[in-house]
Amino acid sequence: MGKNIVYTELKNLLGKDRVLSDKEELLCYSYDAAIKESMPDFVVFPLNAIEISAIVKICKKHNIPITGRGAGSGFSGGSVPIKGGTVVSFAKMNNVLELDEENMFVTVEPGIINGDLKNYLDEKGYFYPPDPASYEFCTIGGNVAECAGGPKAVKYGVTKNYVYALEVVTGDGEIIHTGSKTIKDVAGYNLTQLLVGSEGTLGLFSKITLKFLSKPADSNLLIVSFDDVNNGFTAALTLLKLNNRPSMLEFMDNSSINAVKNYFKSSLLDIKGDFLFIIEADGTLEEVNSSINLYKDILNGFSPIFLFVAGNDAERSEIINARKAISPSLRTFGDLKINNDIAVPVNRIIEILTTIKNISDKYKVPIINFGHFGDGNIHVNIMLNKSDSAMVSRGEEAKYEIIKKAIEFGGTISGEHGIGIIKKEFMKLKFDDYYINLMRNIKKSFDPDNILNPGKIFD
Amino acid sequence: MENILSTSLKSYENCVKCGKCLPVCPSYNFNFNEFFSPRGRVRLIASEIKDELPLKISKFENSMSTCLLCGRCTDICPNGVKTVSLIIEEKFKLNKLKTDKFSIDNFALKVLKRNSKFLFSAGLRFSNILKFNNLNIPKPSGKPFILHNDLIFSVKNNITENNLEDYYENISIKKKSYNINEEKINENTNINNQIASTKSQIREEKEFNFSCNNINNLINVGYFSGCVFNNIYPEISRSTVSALNKNNISVFIPSSQSCCGLPHISSGDINSFKKLAINNALSFKNKKLDYIITSCASCSFSINKLYPQYFSTEEKNEAKEKDRLEVLNFSKKLIDIWNFFNILKKKGIKIKQGDLDKKLDVVFHIPCHLKNSADFLPFSKNEQLIGEAGSIIDNINGLNLKPLKHNYCCGNGGMFNIRHYSMSKEITKKKFSEIKEAIKEAIKETTEETIKETAEETAAQIILTSCSGCILSLKDQKNILENDKKIPVKHLIEIYDKSIK
Repeated sequence: MGKNIVYTELKNLLGKDRVLSDKEELLCYSYDAAIKESMPDFVVFPLNAIEISAIVKICKKHNIPITGRGAGSGFSGGSVPIKGGTVVSFAKMNNVLELDEENMFVTVEPGIINGDLKNYLDEKGYFYPPDPASYEFCTIGGNVAECAGGPKAVKYGVTKNYVYALEVVTGDGEIIHTGSKTIKDVAGYNLTQLLVGSEGTLGLFSKITLKFLSKPADSNLLIVSFDDVNNGFTAALTLLKLNNRPSMLEFMDNSSINAVKNYFKSSLLDIKGDFLFIIEADGTLEEVNSSINLYKDILNGFSPIFLFVAGNDAERSEIINARKAISPSLRTFGDLKINNDIAVPVNRIIEILTTIKNISDKYKVPIINFGHFGDGNIHVNIMLNKSDSAMVSRGEEAKYEIIKKAIEFGGTISGEHGIGIIKKEFMKLKFDDYYINLMRNIKKSFDPDNILNPGKIFD
Repeated sequence: MENILSTSLKSYENCVKCGKCLPVCPSYNFNFNEFFSPRGRVRLIASEIKDELPLKISKFENSMSTCLLCGRCTDICPNGVKTVSLIIEEKFKLNKLKTDKFSIDNFALKVLKRNSKFLFSAGLRFSNILKFNNLNIPKPSGKPFILHNDLIFSVKNNITENNLEDYYENISIKKKSYNINEEKINENTNINNQIASTKSQIREEKEFNFSCNNINNLINVGYFSGCVFNNIYPEISRSTVSALNKNNISVFIPSSQSCCGLPHISSGDINSFKKLAINNALSFKNKKLDYIITSCASCSFSINKLYPQYFSTEEKNEAKEKDRLEVLNFSKKLIDIWNFFNILKKKGIKIKQGDLDKKLDVVFHIPCHLKNSADFLPFSKNEQLIGEAGSIIDNINGLNLKPLKHNYCCGNGGMFNIRHYSMSKEITKKKFSEIKEAIKEAIKETTEETIKETAEETAAQIILTSCSGCILSLKDQKNILENDKKIPVKHLIEIYDKSIK
């Protein structure tokens, strides 16, 4: 009954083609990459802030939840409508609105794919660095909502370092404009940065203004492995202290090296060693060469057992493909993956990895680690068999213990995937009630009726 | 059949909903509704298989039938989800529930299944008069390439003439074309006996000239035309055979070959698909051919990829098992024309270098179903741009390949363009946006070299490709290039054939 009224109002606003309500279609909006599912009641496709505002006002009037959705590629369930209601898909808002070459800012609609923006800027000689693994299909709106990272974060930072201004529709349906195209801006609270990573709980973005850089002319990769873990760590930490630090410093532990070996045939991986780094330098050709030589000298001082500098594009793509093959190769360890993205201060990585190894032994579950050494963000993958319920519960316990340890080491429960519904239960490990209430009150100011993505981050 | 597909059927469980398949899907890009995306389809299929929630058949059918079977999602999937196979399997089920038996697409499928070249052209003429659903039905450009007789195009010594007709030698085998139906297929042994009687004749031809340059290797090839290149654009079949002849390769073409069956399987009609597959395999049986060449990417997809998949289970019946093995054998021998040229090159056989009278700026539309050989490594710039077909472009002096930015799909998708014509044309429109962009670039470059006025004429532009579906779709430029001149669409083999002596 109530549903029909809402449907009619949405249809009158957007037209029949931009409102979905058949269950077959709704089913296709009940999930994201976090695998927990929940059916929405409607899916709408707005084209601008005015339409989004009108949608919010309709939902507010009828007290219906609203969940924003980019590509639905998130790992924390941020775009899953766990309380039903309306899914706002930004897929049709995928344009570049303004390219300000003088100030080096680009204003886009939230539905544009990260990789499409990268290509658009690349053709003009520019560079948008944040590069989550899913950059070929995830959207900028989702990146901003989750504050996505990526391998290049070690040198270039994460999404928040590039967001300067936003047009946002609040839970009241009001359209606000935050920030400005200036490096310096201290006028009032920094709502731009508050909204970055807010997981759709404070507002729906309709325009996003991003800083971009000039494209580095060149880059090169090297791959290095150590059998002494301590040596490897000290070497990597030394590289991070350099003024021309690597633009990428990825690591694979022996569990992930072995996983990839079985899946992806490459002579580069046919090496001994417990620990492997993939290191990138970028800049002008001279800078790249001198950086790579410098890295090589430093690394050689720590007696690596293998060091290889890519000499051509084919070798570079072989290294990148080996790195990319980790995720799919994990399947051989189990059909259920509990994926954590804890982050710790870089000098504690060695401790957390040792701890994880012990936890893996204690709970008898395989745990495969890889990730972004340069920023302390480790992807801890607990591999389980769906059908083995005892194993699954052991895996859950292992996960709990790892997250607790990460906090103990001065780290955090999520580096780049967000809290959503997947890590909600761990918020209390990180924050006390007072702190969480503070966040709740901030949400109330933006969304008094609690209709924006309710049930995410905290209850 | 159940166990053939069990691996692909189970593969829906591998989907982790990452969303990587969305941007590559032509039907998702049509209106950005996940209901028309691979991920959405896999979710719907999982629901159908597990019987989770009652799905409305017509709605479910709509999601499945809007898939173009281009395979981009399957290629890109990091978890091995066989989306195309899953969708085909659902189409089998839907086909059994089908109610609209009198639709134009059903009529077209029936004609193709009958394998009558006469019916095919009559059908086209008839539909051209009736103008179904505003469909743009192609007009055949000539009489069918193969009509009633088996053909042999043999190479004579020292070819120097320019005139094709002079060195085409058709040997007619006294045999009428026959329609396929079950009894006829069983009679096929008879037909094969007939062919065997003329075998000595063929042998003579081979000994006469089935040799390639001075290499001792004898390469005997057959040609599989496919229905579009036989009945609608016969000049493409002629060019293919002629280009092979000019490279000193004689070609055998049995007239009993039929449609590859792709339109049938993409409509869920597995029975007709299998009948056509067996008919094709038997048509080429016992001909001692090293390769069977096709110049249509869709036919090679159907024969190379789908035949083995749907003939993988051993048959208990001896005759059926024989047919099955014959289908597998046929599938192994069938090869796309670009893969074939690459094999020749690897054997050290020189491919003739051609010259164009006039410089030509072209784009090459890569058909979704065109695949490089497994061991192909791109060397030249053209090969890096478009893969194996690029090496033939290297063989044509004066042909200037312009890159296409995204390599979008053409929008054909087998029967998709008939069932969902307006959606298909939207996808074609997107394809033309990148083609126009490439042409603009070409004109800009030419302008820098020559005077502005002549620029547009100097840069003669042609769209090249190598798939029958793509050609049909790309030639249909109505409502796409309203104010512009039409852009000619050709098969790359036509240009190559013209360029060589």
